[in-house]
Amino acid sequence: MKTDRRPLVLISPALLWLFGLMVVPCLLILVVAFFRRGVYGGIEYTWTLENIALVFDPLYFGIFMKSAAIAGLAAGIACVLGYAAAYAIASMPRRHQPMLLFFAVLPFWSNYLVRSYAWIVLLNREGLIANLARWIGFDGELPKMLYTEPAVVIGLIYNYLPFVILSCYAPLSRLNPEIAEASRDLGASAWTTFRRITLPRTVVGIATGFVFVFVLSIGNFVTPALLGGGQFQMIGNLVYAQFLTANDWPFGAALSMVLIIIMLGLLLLQAVITERASGGKAYTDG
Amino acid sequence: MTYPLLSIQQVEKHFGNVSAVSGVTLDVQENEFFALLGASGSGKTTLLRMLAGFEALTAGDILLEGTSIAQLPPNRRPVNLMFQSYALFPHMNVAKNIAYGLEMDKLPKQEINAEVEKILDVVQLTQLAKRKPEQLSGGQRQRVALARALIKRPKVLLLDEPLGALDKKLRSDMQLELKRLQHEFGITFIMVTHDQEEALVMADRIAIMQDGGLLQVGTPNDIYERPQTRFAADFIGVMNFLPVTLSGDTLQAANGITITSTQTIDLPNGSAAVAAIRPERLHVDTQLDNNLAGDVVNIAYHGLDLLLHIKTTLSDKPIISRMTADVAERHCPTIGQQINLGWSAKDTRIFPA
Ligand SMILES: Nc1ncnc2c1ncn2[C@@H]1O[C@H](COP(=O)(O)OP(=O)(O)OP(=O)(O)O)[C@@H](O)[C@H]1O
Ligand SMILES: [Mg+2]
Repeated sequence: MKTDRRPLVLISPALLWLFGLMVVPCLLILVVAFFRRGVYGGIEYTWTLENIALVFDPLYFGIFMKSAAIAGLAAGIACVLGYAAAYAIASMPRRHQPMLLFFAVLPFWSNYLVRSYAWIVLLNREGLIANLARWIGFDGELPKMLYTEPAVVIGLIYNYLPFVILSCYAPLSRLNPEIAEASRDLGASAWTTFRRITLPRTVVGIATGFVFVFVLSIGNFVTPALLGGGQFQMIGNLVYAQFLTANDWPFGAALSMVLIIIMLGLLLLQAVITERASGGKAYTDG
Repeated sequence: MTYPLLSIQQVEKHFGNVSAVSGVTLDVQENEFFALLGASGSGKTTLLRMLAGFEALTAGDILLEGTSIAQLPPNRRPVNLMFQSYALFPHMNVAKNIAYGLEMDKLPKQEINAEVEKILDVVQLTQLAKRKPEQLSGGQRQRVALARALIKRPKVLLLDEPLGALDKKLRSDMQLELKRLQHEFGITFIMVTHDQEEALVMADRIAIMQDGGLLQVGTPNDIYERPQTRFAADFIGVMNFLPVTLSGDTLQAANGITITSTQTIDLPNGSAAVAAIRPERLHVDTQLDNNLAGDVVNIAYHGLDLLLHIKTTLSDKPIISRMTADVAERHCPTIGQQINLGWSAKDTRIFPA
């Protein structure tokens, strides 16, 4: 029997693309991370583990931890907000839901930089929020808003919230409303029904959303650069600096490698969770 | 003063400008097996959902032992609903599904486990206690849904087409099983079905619903033998209808044939009507009050009995006559044969045309 070659033909361009532009550069980074930095910024082709060791130097590892904390905070808040929004959309009449979803992800369609600059306009000392506060009669000293950690967190949440809304909406919209009704019928309050029926059935969406926002945030360098100000460093900024200003490619590569491993690990975990959940074997409720 | 267990009073439900249930008044007694029978879209599910607390009443009231429950949320009503789709919790195993209702009652764990074990035994699911709903067959799911509702020992158990998804054989087994459980638990059942045979077999009383209203309420015998409307007569069982004209005390059918009936109808002389006769009341080649000749055009074999389709001059549709297997064995007509059908005047029912 002749095997059907059509799937192979159809998938080849995408695979080649991924291989050429993702796998190969990643492997290059992997290799570069084990070379020594040249005196004038080039690469000296002698093997070393120094770069990897430097990543775990308290100075740089601290930045790693801070990035993880910020990404975790942004992902956590985005999940709460996104789940609530998705829940609200899923409980609207079916025919209105596509339009509401469209509006929820609308910010996605504008440029990332433009969206981030909009927050500068809002948070700035002479910005909209400051003016609004003054206009309603507040005349004390306003706390500094722009170029702070919370500004970075807000920026990240704002940018990635649509991901969470979409990932939570998917399982919420697939829920059979009669299952929640059955819970009420058996004596559960609305809150208990949410906790024991709705949430376990949709936690996959939250997990997916969390991992996405976390992964996109921890490596982000645009938002910290714009909203965190010049000296605010997240791991993305550090990598950026190694490649483009410090000219220390091997160290930049080592940082990137650790970051990529963390991201891949999380994405894999998320894939496993989703797979298990869709197989129905993921959770034992109780 | 004693109250009926459940009293439904002038209940209405409108969805926008659709009237799903209108003017339903009904009392259900303790320990009764009550069937709501009606065609698709007649409002059966809507009525059950109002009793369970999932739909607000547009008008009317629902009393349980004399107290209104119309304003109570579903979790505070001593009424349980077995959903048409079963609505089992997909992420919990069979035992967890069944225990859920008792956990909500905050019973001690020991007691819950004992109760669950007991009911698993009753519905013969002990072996499957650890399975997830998706790993069960339709009949097993149905028993889990039943056990989950029964374990709460509600005052009234509402069942929305509980046997709808089962094949015919399993269905008739479960019919008996349900009746047995109802007896054993001493709980009032209100069961929705659109299968008239199921309603006749299982129920103590039946209500026929049509377009959101109750057409007739009565025992299976009342409903079958004394349907009050032509719709009810047609909906329940098989019925032969013959167009007639009223003339004095008799009914004038086509070709000058006269049909007699012991029933009288309050219509002016000369108005059109229909005479209705059940197939089992039509006797082949037997001289009775009414007699009619016709040709056998088809014989449908059902095992227990035979249905003869007989073409007469009185109606376009063939008349159906039922013969039990033992009679048919001794004396079975063949297709094309001319036979005589006889029936008593007391077996002719009359409805306005
Ligand atoms: N949520 C709703 N919104 C609008 N109309 C509804 C709603 N629920 C039911 N209806 C309408 O009310 C009428 C009665 O519906 P219901 O589901 O009670 O019928 P049913 O007798 O249970 O039918 P079936 O045998 O098909 O289950 C139908 O015309 C239906 O379209
Ligand atoms: Mg229904």
